[in-house]
Amino acid sequence: MALCAKKRPPEEERRARANDREYNEKFQYASNCIKTSKYNILTFLPVNLFEQFQEVANTYFLFLLILQLIPQISSLSWFTTIVPLVLVLTITAVKDATDDYFRHKSDNQVNNRQSQVLINGILQQEQWMNVCVGDIIKLENNQFVAADLLLLSSSEPHGLCYIETAELDGETNMKVRQAIPVTSELGDISKLAKFDGEVICEPPNNKLDKFSGTLYWKENKFPLSNQNMLLRGCVLRNTEWCFGLVIFAGPDTKLMQNSGRTKFKRTSIDRLMNTLVLWIFGFLVCMGVILAIGNAIWEHEVGTRFQVYLPWDEAVDSAFFSGFLSFWSYIIILNTVVPISLYVSVEVIRLGHSYFINWDKKMFCMKKRTPAEARTTTLNEELGQVEYIFSDKTGTLTQNIMVFNKCSIYGRSYGDVFDVLGHKAELGEKPEPVDFSFNPLADKKFLFWDPSLLEAVKIGDPHTHEFFRLLSLCHTVMSEEKNEGELYYKAQSPDEGALVTAARNFGFVFRSRTPKTITVHEMGTAITYQLLAILDFNNIRKRMSVIVRNPEGKIRLYCKGADTILLDRLHHSTQELLNTTMDHLNEYAGEGLRTLVLAYRDLDEEYYEEWAERRLQASLAQDSREDRLASVYEEVENNMMLLGATAIEDKLQQGVPETIALLTLANIKIWVLTGDKQETAVNIGYSCKMLTDDMTEVFIVTGHTVLEVREELRKAREKMMDSSRSVGNGFTYQETLSSSKLTSVLEAVAGEYALVINGHSLAHALEADMELEFLETACACKAVICCRVTPLQKAQVVELVKKYKKAVTLAIGDGANDVSMIKTAHIGVGISGQEGIQAVLASDYSFSQFKFLQRLLLVHGRWSYLRMCKFLCYFFYKNFAFTMVHFWFGFFCGFSAQTVYDQYFITLYNIVYTSLPVLAMGVFDQDVPEQRSMEYPKLYEPGQLNLLFNKREFFICIAQGIYTSVLMFFIPYGVFAEATRDDGTQLADYQSFAVTVATSLVIVVSVQIGLDTGYWTAINHFFIWGSLAVYFAILFAMHSNGLFDMFPNQFRFVGNAQNTLAQPTVWLTIVLTTVVCIMPVVAFRFLRLNLKPDLSDTVRYTQLVRKKQKAQHRCMRRVGRTGSRRSGYAFSHQEGFGELIMSGKNMRLSSLALSSFTTRSSSSWIESLRRKKSDSASSPSGSADKPLKG
Amino acid sequence: MEEMPQHRLSRLPDNSALKQQKLPAHRLHFTTTRVLFVFFTTGIFCLCMGIILMLSARRTQEIEINYTRTCANCAKLRETASNFDKECTCSIPFYLSEKMKGKVYMYYKLHGFHQNLYRYIRSRSNRQLVGKDVKAVENCYPFKTSNNDTPIVPCGAIANSMFNDTIILSYNINSSVQIKVPMLKTGLTWWTDKYIKFQNPSLKNLADEFRGTTKPPNWPNPIYELDKKDPRNNGFLNEDLIVWMRTAAFPTFKKLYGRLNQTHHFIEGLPAGSYSFNITYNFPVTRFQGEKSVVLSTLTWCGGNSLFLGLAYTVTGATALLAAFAMKAIHMMLKNKQMSFFHQ
Repeated sequence: MALCAKKRPPEEERRARANDREYNEKFQYASNCIKTSKYNILTFLPVNLFEQFQEVANTYFLFLLILQLIPQISSLSWFTTIVPLVLVLTITAVKDATDDYFRHKSDNQVNNRQSQVLINGILQQEQWMNVCVGDIIKLENNQFVAADLLLLSSSEPHGLCYIETAELDGETNMKVRQAIPVTSELGDISKLAKFDGEVICEPPNNKLDKFSGTLYWKENKFPLSNQNMLLRGCVLRNTEWCFGLVIFAGPDTKLMQNSGRTKFKRTSIDRLMNTLVLWIFGFLVCMGVILAIGNAIWEHEVGTRFQVYLPWDEAVDSAFFSGFLSFWSYIIILNTVVPISLYVSVEVIRLGHSYFINWDKKMFCMKKRTPAEARTTTLNEELGQVEYIFSDKTGTLTQNIMVFNKCSIYGRSYGDVFDVLGHKAELGEKPEPVDFSFNPLADKKFLFWDPSLLEAVKIGDPHTHEFFRLLSLCHTVMSEEKNEGELYYKAQSPDEGALVTAARNFGFVFRSRTPKTITVHEMGTAITYQLLAILDFNNIRKRMSVIVRNPEGKIRLYCKGADTILLDRLHHSTQELLNTTMDHLNEYAGEGLRTLVLAYRDLDEEYYEEWAERRLQASLAQDSREDRLASVYEEVENNMMLLGATAIEDKLQQGVPETIALLTLANIKIWVLTGDKQETAVNIGYSCKMLTDDMTEVFIVTGHTVLEVREELRKAREKMMDSSRSVGNGFTYQETLSSSKLTSVLEAVAGEYALVINGHSLAHALEADMELEFLETACACKAVICCRVTPLQKAQVVELVKKYKKAVTLAIGDGANDVSMIKTAHIGVGISGQEGIQAVLASDYSFSQFKFLQRLLLVHGRWSYLRMCKFLCYFFYKNFAFTMVHFWFGFFCGFSAQTVYDQYFITLYNIVYTSLPVLAMGVFDQDVPEQRSMEYPKLYEPGQLNLLFNKREFFICIAQGIYTSVLMFFIPYGVFAEATRDDGTQLADYQSFAVTVATSLVIVVSVQIGLDTGYWTAINHFFIWGSLAVYFAILFAMHSNGLFDMFPNQFRFVGNAQNTLAQPTVWLTIVLTTVVCIMPVVAFRFLRLNLKPDLSDTVRYTQLVRKKQKAQHRCMRRVGRTGSRRSGYAFSHQEGFGELIMSGKNMRLSSLALSSFTTRSSSSWIESLRRKKSDSASSPSGSADKPLKG
Repeated sequence: MEEMPQHRLSRLPDNSALKQQKLPAHRLHFTTTRVLFVFFTTGIFCLCMGIILMLSARRTQEIEINYTRTCANCAKLRETASNFDKECTCSIPFYLSEKMKGKVYMYYKLHGFHQNLYRYIRSRSNRQLVGKDVKAVENCYPFKTSNNDTPIVPCGAIANSMFNDTIILSYNINSSVQIKVPMLKTGLTWWTDKYIKFQNPSLKNLADEFRGTTKPPNWPNPIYELDKKDPRNNGFLNEDLIVWMRTAAFPTFKKLYGRLNQTHHFIEGLPAGSYSFNITYNFPVTRFQGEKSVVLSTLTWCGGNSLFLGLAYTVTGATALLAAFAMKAIHMMLKNKQMSFFHQ
C-alpha cells in the first residue's frame, strides 16, 4: 500500500508502449493501486491528533488545560478539563479509526480484484494493483474495467464493444466503443504479444468525454479519441471479451480524478453555533476583564490591608498584576459557558438521529431489501430546514421501466381493467393478469390486465394482427437467443423494448434480424420479412418507419411516431377512426401515459423501386444530405392508414406524486434537473403532479442564443407581473435587477407558474450576467424543470440557488451524473438499490425510493431540527445558569477566582448531572406524532424560517440563564447572610453555601428539562430522575467519611451533605429558588400558547381535546387531464441505430456460431456467418426455427 | 470508491418501539387548568410559608453590639503588630429590656473579613488537622513553616487568622452583684467536624505530639494551650478552632461563640436586665477596615432570625397568585379568539 502514494511532478504528456514494462517504468506512472484511506497504524496517532487539534474547540480546551497547569492562575483542578477533553479525543479517534479501517478494507478489496494480464506472451491472473501502464489486459463480459484502457480488439466484429457507464455518468443505456481498425485485427494472444505500439496522449485529467492521443505503430500514426477508450468503472456488456492497453492506472484514471475529496459539509446550525461560541468567548473575555479590574481594585483597596492574614503571592508585586492573573483564572472558571461536552453531545444526538433513520422500517424498501442509510451523521437537523429540492428524473422519480399499458386498435381501446360487474376497476385492485401460457416464447415478466385483447388476437382479428405485426417489425431492437426459446431483447430505449415485448407476448415474436431480414414468429409460425429500409428516428421527424416485403412479396411501410406528427400524414379515409383514436389518445395522455400512433401504407413495387432510387441519390448527396433524406422519407410516409395507438407507462417510482404534493405543501420547492429530453421531462412533470393543468402557465425556455433566452425569461416575468398586477398587487416592474434587491419583487406573484428550460438555454442563463434574472424567474415559479442538462450544469444550478437564496438545498439522484449536484447541495441524497452506486457513495443519505424523502424531511428532519434547537437552547441556558453564579460570587470574594461550587461538582455537572436528560430530550423528543407532521406539512416551516434556534432565541436562552444564575446566587445569599442553623451554629459557611447552590441548580435545571421535554418516555424518566438520584448519591459519597479518611486533602467537604441538607432552611431556600426560577418560564410559555400559538401547539392542542379533525386528505386519485396531449415517440431514443442495423455492423453472433468460426480469418468469417444467418432465417423450416406449438 | 460490497443490503430494521421512535410516552401539555392549578397552589403555598416564616422570625430575639469603636483604645493598640503581647480589655454594658426565652446563643460577627478568598480557603492542611501527620503542611502556603523551617501547627492562613478575642457575658442581678452568665463551649460544631474532620494525634499528651512544630505567627499560644481551663478542648479539637476553620461564604459572617448554659438564673433563658460584655480585645480588625460585634440570639424551628426568607416567600406567593389571576383573565379574554384559532 505504501507504494500507492508518490508525489510526481505534473505530467505534460503520457507515453506508454505496449508490452514494454521497462520502457514505461522510466516515467514512474502511478500504479493501478488506489488508496482512499488516510492513516496506517504508525501514523494514526500523530496524524489524527494533529487533525483533531485543528478543530478550534479542541485547541481551546488544550489551551485551557495548559493554563490550569500554571499554579498562579489555576483556579480549578486540572481534571475538570482533561477528563472531558480526553473523552472527546478518544471518541473521535475511535470513530476515525473505524472509518479508516473500512476504507482500507474497500481499497484492499478493489486492489485485489483479479484481471488477466498479458505478460511475456502469456495471459496471467494478476491483482488489479499490479497492473501497470502499458500492460495489455483481457476483459470478459460483465467484468469491471480495471483501468483506463485503449481498446485494441474485441470478440465483436469491427472491434466493437459495448459498455455500460452507469458508474461513471449514470446513463444506463449501453454505449459502443470501437477499436481503431489496425488494432481490431489483433484478436489472438500471439499477435497481441508482438504488438509494440506506443501511445502518446494527454496527461491524466477528469474529463470523462474527451480523450486525445496518437498511436505510433509500424511507423504510422493513428489518432485516438474517446471512442476508443474504455474507462475504469465501466462494465463490459454483450461482448465476449476484449483486449485493452492500459493508458492511465489507479489514481490517474478518469474515475479517480473525478472523485475529488468530498468537501466537509457543515449545517447552518453548526455555523451559527460556531458564531455563537465566538460571541461567548467574547463575552467570556468581557467577564474576565470586568472581574480582573474588580480584582485589581479590590487588591488595591482591601487586599493590601488584608495582607496580615493573607500575604500576596511571591510573584505578585502589584494589584495590577494580581488583576492580570485573576483574568486568566476567571477565564478558566468561566470556560464552562462553552463546555466541551457541547460538541460531544451534539455529535451523540446526531448519531442517534442517524440511527433512527437507519432503523426506520417505514423507509425500508421491501423489494430491494434496502434500508435507508444516513451516511453522514453531521447533517441531520439540516433535513428539517430544506427549501429547495433538486431531483434527478430517471431512476429517481421514475423507475426507468416502460410498461405497455394500453392500446387502441382500430377504434377500440384495450387495457382498462374491468371488474366482474363491468365497472372500471381502480388501480391496486387488479384481477388476475392475462395468461400468456399459449405462447412458449412469451416473456414471463410481462403483465397485461385486459383479457379481451388476447381474445382479439386469438380469433384472428386482422387489425389486431397488423397492429402487433407492426410492433414486431418496426423497431431497432436486437435480439439474442442464448438458449432455444430464451429470447433477450436489447432495446436501445426502454420504450421500444416494451412495445416489442408486448408484441412478443401477444404472439408476434420478433425472433432475429439480419441486415436485410426480420424473422417474426407470428402465432407460432416463423415468417421472414425482407427488410427494405429503415427510416430512422430523429428529433425532428419524431417517427420511424420500416419498409418490408412479406413472404407473399407485398411491400408495406410500417410507421410509428408522435401523434401530432403522424395524424397529419394519414389517409383522409380514416377520419372517423381518427376521431375515436384521438379520444383514446386524449384519455391516455390524461393518465400520464406516453403515446405513439401506429400506421401503415401499402406500396406498389414500381413506386418503391423509384423511391428507393431517389433515396439512394439523396444518401449519396454531398451537401445537405440530411435534409434531402428527410424530404424523401417524408414523401413515402404519407397517406398512411391508421392502425391504432399504444400507451406506455413510464413507471414512476411508488408514491412520487403524493410525495411531491406533500413536499410542495410544506413549502419546499422542487426542481427537476434531468438529462432527458424536454418532452419526457414535461411528461413526467405532469404525471408526478409537479405540473398541473390548473397552472396559470408553463413557460418554456428553449432559446439558443443569449438574447433569445433573455427575452424569453423577460417575457415570462412580465406575464407573471401582469397577472399579479391585475390581481391588484400594484407594484411596478423594474427592468433593472441588482443583487441587493434580489429579495425578489417576484416572490409575491399571484397564480401558479412553472418553468421549463432546456440545457442549451440554461447554459446561457447560468452566465454571470443573467443568472440573477434566471434565478428570480425560476424562484417565482412553483415548479422548475431543467432538461438536457449536463452533470456540471446540475451542480451549477444548485450552486446558484445556494449562493443567492441562503436556503438549504437538497439534491437527490441515483446516477453518477448526479454526483456533482449531490456533492454541491447542502444535503445530498442518493437512491440506493440501483446498479450504480456512485451517487450513493457521494451522498449524505441514501434510500431506495423517492417517496421516503417525505419521511426523511417531514418526520426525521423536522424532529432532528426541533430536537437540536431545543437541545442547544437548553444547553446554553444550563451552562450560563451554572457559570454566571461565579461571576456574582466574584463581587463577594474579592474577585479572587474562588468558585462557588466544589470542584468535583464542576467536573461532573456537564458530563454526569445534566448530560443525560438533555441527551434523552435531544434524541427522543417529539412535539407532535409523526402522522401529524405528514398531515400538516406546514409544521415544516419553522425549520425553513430558522425560527427555533437563531440569534434571538439564543439571547433569550442566555437571558434566562443569567436570570437563573442571579436568583441562584442572591436568594441563598439573602437567606444565608443572616440565618443560622437550627442548632445555632453558623449556616453561612462556604461549603454549605456551595452545596445549597449546587443542589438548587441541579434541581432547577432538572425541572427545566422536564418542562422542555415534550415527550416523556421511560428513558427520559429514567435519565431525569436518575440524574437527580446520581447527584445526591455522588454528593453523599464525595462528602462521606470513607473518602475523607483516605484523601483528607482532596475531599474537603466531608460531612457537608448530611449536615447541610438536614436543615429546613436550606430546603426552603432550594424550593424558593426553584419556584422563582421556574414560574416565570411556565407563565411565559402559557402566555405564548394563548397569545401566539404556533402550528405545532395548535396541533397538539387539537390532539389533546380529541377533536379529531379530518386529515386534509389531498386528492391523489389520478384525475383525467384533458387538453394537453403529449405524445412522445420513444422518448429516450437516439437516432443512428437504424443505420447501424442496416449496415450490419452491430449484428451479434450467437455464441454457438461464434465458437465454430473463431478460427477463421476475420474478414471472411463475418461475411460467411452473415450469409449463413440470413439463409437460415429466410427458410421458415430452418434448423434454428422449429415450428412453435400453437 | 467505485465498488462496494453489496452484503449490507439486507436485514429489515427491528420493529422495536425504540428503533421506530414509538416508545410509549407521556406528552407534556401546558393546559390552562394545569398551569392555573400549579400557579394557584404555588402561590398559596408560598404565601402561607412566607407568613409562617415571618411570624416565627419575629418571635426570635437578637441583640447585636458592635464593639469595634466602643473599645477604641484597644483597637488602636492592636493596629500596631508589635503590641501583640499587651493585654487590652474593655467592658460593654447593655440593657436587655425583654427577657430572651429558651436557648440563647452567643456569636461573634466580623464585617469585611474575607474568609472566602481563593488562596485563603485553600490554605489549610486537612491531613494535619485530622491528626494523621502533624507535619503535613503541603497546601498551607503562605503559612507552612516558620523561618527556621519548623512546620506550623495548625498551618495555613485560615488557622493563623483565627479569631482570638475572649468574650465574657456578665449579668447584673442588681447594681452591686454581677455574675458571670454560664456559657457552654461545647456543641458549637458539627458532629462530623468534631469527630471526623478534626482529630488530635493522640489524647495522651498533646504537647509531646506537637513537638517539633511551631505555633502560627499570630497566635499567642501553641495549639495545645488554646483552652487552659478545659484540657479536652485543646489541640485540633478546640471548638473555637473548628468553628473558625469552617470558612464563611461571605465577608460578613457570624460564628457561634458559646451557648447559654440554662442553669440557676438562666433556666428559662436570659432574664431582662442589665448585662455587660467583658472582652479581651486581641483580634485586630481596623487594620483591614473591618468591624466586629457580638451577637446574642434565640432560635426558632428553622434556625436563626432571618426575615429574608419569609419576605421572599411572601412576595413570591403574592406574585404567583397575581400572575395566576392575570393569566386566568387573559385566558378568558382570549378564549373565543383562541377557539376560532383551533378550528381553522
